[in-house]
Amino acid sequence: MTAPPILSLKGVSKRFGGLQALGDVTFDVRRGEILGLIGPNGAGKTTLFSALVGLHRIDAGSVALDGREIARMAPHRVAALGLTKTFQNVALFGEASVLDNVLIGGLLRRDVAGARAFAAECLARVGLSAIAEKRAGDLSFPERARVEVARALATEPKVLLLDEVMAALNHAETAEIVALFRQLQADGLTLVVVEHHMKTVMSLCDRIVALSFGRLLAEGTPAEIARHPDVVAAYLGREYVG
Amino acid sequence: MTRPTKLAAAALALLAALCLPLGLDHQGYAIRVATLVFLFGAMAQSWNVVGGLANQMSLGHAAFFGIGAYTSTLLLIHAGLSPWLGMLAGGVLGGLAAALISLPTMRLSGHYFALATLAFGEVMRVVANSWAGLTGGPVGLSVPFAPDSLALFNFKSTVPHYYIALAALCLVTAIFVWIRNSALGYRLRAVRENVDAAEVVGVDTARTKLVAAVISGVLMAMTGTLYAQLNFFFDPDTVFGAAPISIRVALIAIVGGVGTAIGPIVGALVIIPLEEAANLFLSSQVAGLSGFAYGLILIAVILVQPHGLAAIGRRFQRKSKGAS
Repeated sequence: MTAPPILSLKGVSKRFGGLQALGDVTFDVRRGEILGLIGPNGAGKTTLFSALVGLHRIDAGSVALDGREIARMAPHRVAALGLTKTFQNVALFGEASVLDNVLIGGLLRRDVAGARAFAAECLARVGLSAIAEKRAGDLSFPERARVEVARALATEPKVLLLDEVMAALNHAETAEIVALFRQLQADGLTLVVVEHHMKTVMSLCDRIVALSFGRLLAEGTPAEIARHPDVVAAYLGREYVG
Repeated sequence: MTRPTKLAAAALALLAALCLPLGLDHQGYAIRVATLVFLFGAMAQSWNVVGGLANQMSLGHAAFFGIGAYTSTLLLIHAGLSPWLGMLAGGVLGGLAAALISLPTMRLSGHYFALATLAFGEVMRVVANSWAGLTGGPVGLSVPFAPDSLALFNFKSTVPHYYIALAALCLVTAIFVWIRNSALGYRLRAVRENVDAAEVVGVDTARTKLVAAVISGVLMAMTGTLYAQLNFFFDPDTVFGAAPISIRVALIAIVGGVGTAIGPIVGALVIIPLEEAANLFLSSQVAGLSGFAYGLILIAVILVQPHGLAAIGRRFQRKSKGAS
């Protein structure tokens, strides 16, 4: 018998006017895994993340976190239950210091003094202790993406949705983030990652879910996904599939 | 400035304020202006909780101010209740009104929030003018005279009012600083910068905005009682007025420095005497000249120092830091 999934999506659907952004998406996230979420641009990856944390209200379907229904809950309640995300376009509190940005996440379960101490810990985890007092708005993009991760960690999530943290990173920086993700996994977190660099995704993730036009295309191990004809077709075009 | 220097400067300023009445005529014009500076400073500081920390530019704070003035005065007239207790009742009603207006407007941003709150203040003014049975209508209300009585908040001399207004300013400023450094203050700044990001990392943004609005409304309503007792007379157009109250307190905070503790104090110290001086020296020359001159000076201040006068101090600090 397998352990019950930590996050379970059933028939998740979301429409924006005439656009079916998410259609009947069903899959499980297993406790402690790193799950990759892939798909061409516009496949609905970021929309799915937003729907899971409650920023978009889904039209149909259900989402269960650790067996508890969280669809249609306000995002701050979802965060309190242990699910949060980072923002693809980076949404830091630009006027505040790096430490204060992370501190706000820590306030979910601590008072100000406790949150400040915990924020410093979270910054150390992502390797940003040196710039704790810098103004968040003055950081480079790779730094900001890490602050996003630290701020999310400060809420002490069970499941963390990471939206293109590695975008715009160079080779060495990417390797650092991969190491960080593996450490987080070792610490007991469950991660769902969206990244565009396929080689990294294939080597990092335990399993992969592929979306296309808001629908589930395939689900499996990296090796299964790499040779799945629908996935290859979605990425390269039907004519390349022999 | 470091924290100890800041505290020393504040203590020195407070000492000067405490001693000032010794050198002034107790019934005179100067002490009245000084009292108004503190009172409007306290009002602008109340506004600063919502306008500064949450960056929601309310132009309707006269609604709470008028509710405070009318509540304590009506309770004094009809029930003989001490204005000190009336002030608490006014605070409760002001807080309720703030909750009532906050719920439908909290999702609005920028100009839309400003317009919605402006409309709320104007509605309250119209209601106070029309509901003559309760408020006395456009004729206004006179605070019943009582011979020098602390219990009834009634003094012949302006000096007690001066110290009460000073205490109010200190108290509201202390509350502002406390909120700013508390979890609520951090959450408000998060909400100000990015509502979605704040929600996703666990901030109940609706509750945060509501709590700030209620605190601001309570404090503003309480200053309404201080004004009524100082002035002995008021009407709907003064206490519920957009120009004399709502826009004025927002202006004081903005000119002084929005979101800073010192901003509303600096703003009141500049704007209230400036208004008085403009009226005193220019209104006898050409009709409207005082308003014109006053407006020109304000525009100049905002153009030269868009972050408020308090930012000038910070700029000097940065320069001296860079030099050392």
